[in-house]
Amino acid sequence: MTTTVAPPQAPATRRPPRRRHRGGGAVPYLFIFPPLAFLTVFMFGPLVQQVWISFTNTRLLNPTGGRFVGLENYVRLFTGDALIHSLWVTVSYTAGTVVFGVGIGLVAALAITRPFRGRAVVRGVLLFGWAVPNVAASLIWLWMFNENSGILNRVLSWFGVDAVPWLTSTTWAPVSILLVTVWQVAPFVMLVLLAALQSVPEEVREAARVDGADALSVYRVVTLPHIMPTLRLVSVLMAVWTIRRFEIIYLLTGGGPLDSTSTLVVSLRQTAFEDRDLGGAGAYGVVGLVLALVIAAVQLVLERRAQKGSDA
Amino acid sequence: MTTRRHALRTFGAVALGTGVLGTVGACGSGSDASGGTADGPVTLVLSNSQWLDALRGEKLWAAVKKFEDSHPDITLEQEAIASADYTSKITTEMGAGQGPDIVIAQEALFYQLADAGLLVEVDDEVTDGVELNTTADNGVLDDVRYGIAWQRAVYAMIYDKTLVDRAGAAVPTTVEELIASAQGVQAATGAVGFTGRHLIADFSGWMMDFQNWAYGHGVEWVDADGELTIDTPEAAAAFAAFKSVYDAAVMPIGDDMPTQRNRFKEGQVGFSIDNSGGTLNIGNGGALQAAELYSAPLPFQNPGAHQQIYLGISTHSEHAAAANTFLTWLLSEEGQQSLRLASGPDALATDVPVDPDFAAANPWAPTFADLAANSRSTLIPGYEASTDQIMRPVMEALERVLVSGADPATELAVAQSEVDALNLS
Repeated sequence: MTTTVAPPQAPATRRPPRRRHRGGGAVPYLFIFPPLAFLTVFMFGPLVQQVWISFTNTRLLNPTGGRFVGLENYVRLFTGDALIHSLWVTVSYTAGTVVFGVGIGLVAALAITRPFRGRAVVRGVLLFGWAVPNVAASLIWLWMFNENSGILNRVLSWFGVDAVPWLTSTTWAPVSILLVTVWQVAPFVMLVLLAALQSVPEEVREAARVDGADALSVYRVVTLPHIMPTLRLVSVLMAVWTIRRFEIIYLLTGGGPLDSTSTLVVSLRQTAFEDRDLGGAGAYGVVGLVLALVIAAVQLVLERRAQKGSDA
Repeated sequence: MTTRRHALRTFGAVALGTGVLGTVGACGSGSDASGGTADGPVTLVLSNSQWLDALRGEKLWAAVKKFEDSHPDITLEQEAIASADYTSKITTEMGAGQGPDIVIAQEALFYQLADAGLLVEVDDEVTDGVELNTTADNGVLDDVRYGIAWQRAVYAMIYDKTLVDRAGAAVPTTVEELIASAQGVQAATGAVGFTGRHLIADFSGWMMDFQNWAYGHGVEWVDADGELTIDTPEAAAAFAAFKSVYDAAVMPIGDDMPTQRNRFKEGQVGFSIDNSGGTLNIGNGGALQAAELYSAPLPFQNPGAHQQIYLGISTHSEHAAAANTFLTWLLSEEGQQSLRLASGPDALATDVPVDPDFAAANPWAPTFADLAANSRSTLIPGYEASTDQIMRPVMEALERVLVSGADPATELAVAQSEVDALNLS
């Protein structure tokens, strides 16, 4: 008699029965509807309309009377000097803001990540720039930059330094705009990075120190890799927000002198509301959109490359 | 995988966030701005940047509100817009089918609105039997009257007599003397020597102010055949004169006009070139007493310019009849007298003499009235609706001369080619 022994069977893993979402399935859509409606009305709609307008000769005084002109606005934009100049100003302003804003924000975050006496006060002071509304801050800076009676030049005069044309020279105006922007954005970067720094496991740092790593090495080998994804994200956010930034530049210099601070958004405003050329302004807007998307795409590629590197 | 999804989400969020750049498309649609109806009480909305002027705004509004005493069914409501934003806001509103019933605007904007078909013809009854003066001339476009004058503000040189006397400075009659006197005031009193608009960010204001320098040096901007002539020796001389004052370290470079006027108001400025409306503001409510504010002809060989403000009725107004009724009242003796008391020495639509009490208390006023005899519009004859478009390359050329020290003749040649490219002639 032969007996066959059945191979041992793996214990049957019973899948939990699939829930069928009936009835309650409408609830998520109900939650999604308000933001979707908001985005459709205030974001998608205007965006589509802007792209359409960029292919027409629409004027501000007759916004519904635009005629389709194909790529005419884009040809005019790309064959003139104004767009190239605006792009250069935008890219250099954005790069400066990202480098200095993120750099100073990182240093500030590292400085206050560990507890010390008066940390709350220091953190409050460091956050001040971010807490003040943009318009109010810009107007205050406008007075501080005033060539004749501003506090900055008064302080310089105590040291025998000549008055600096903060907002009226093509050399200093971009620097002044950058200074105010960095003053405003660095606290936000600091806050975000502070949260990331506080999530770095202390035991890993401790282990590195036990292995003889000095403070710089601990930062390079443990802290930096840990906060790198946040650092990349905050950099891309800074870049995109800076491309869109308007009020600081408009209130301080209006894009001048000699267009030295005329970014894409400032040029867009001038084209739309001073030249009253909505078609041309629409084309500027599309160029700005593409620029921001390129930056986001670069961030995406870098992120994927970093992920591959860590997987390997 | 998670990272890819995260990255895609970031990309999507960025795409959405950047959509804010698309504000251009969000112009909105029309609605009834007045709130009145045809068979009930009517509300007329009047837009004006002057409503925001300290003291003068209140006085002007009180002057027009007297209309309601004799017209209880019509209520006036103001739309106050800051001067710097006035043109862009009104063009946006009216282009989008909204805006006030009656727009009170500088003549450049008035012309553009009329040219774009955004103003209606003024009823003949409004001007019937009214002796309009020369201010009425520019209210007509293609033989159709689209507006009546609100005020004409002539330019003059104004000075703080206290500071000038303390410095022992002379009242200048040339640009060289202006620089010398301004430097004298600055050295002796520590006050600012001279103020004047000089920032392209304030394009429309600076353009109008600069016409004084241009006209003063004999600039016409058009030749006898009506061709636009930007690149002329007269214009180069005007550029050079402005540059010499700019470089003389007597001007607060970077100050906008409200700041300059506030400095003057507080007794911190020796000389300025301003119009009568601005001067009225300076002489009220500050440390500088009106009795110490004096005026003189412009320090140029030829007469200067005037700003002119018009009232027009919007095409989108649902109360055009009521708006015409208001204009009729404004041109009546009662309306003009009421406006006169709030307008200082500005010329009005009809010849209403300046109030003698006002003239006695404001020694600066009579000079403005004298200069009105020869002053010119800031608009280029034959190109009224395109003046802004023509003057932008000119003012940008002047900015290059001031900021980077470029040669006036070279920059005017560039401006000429840019104006030619507009194909307006």
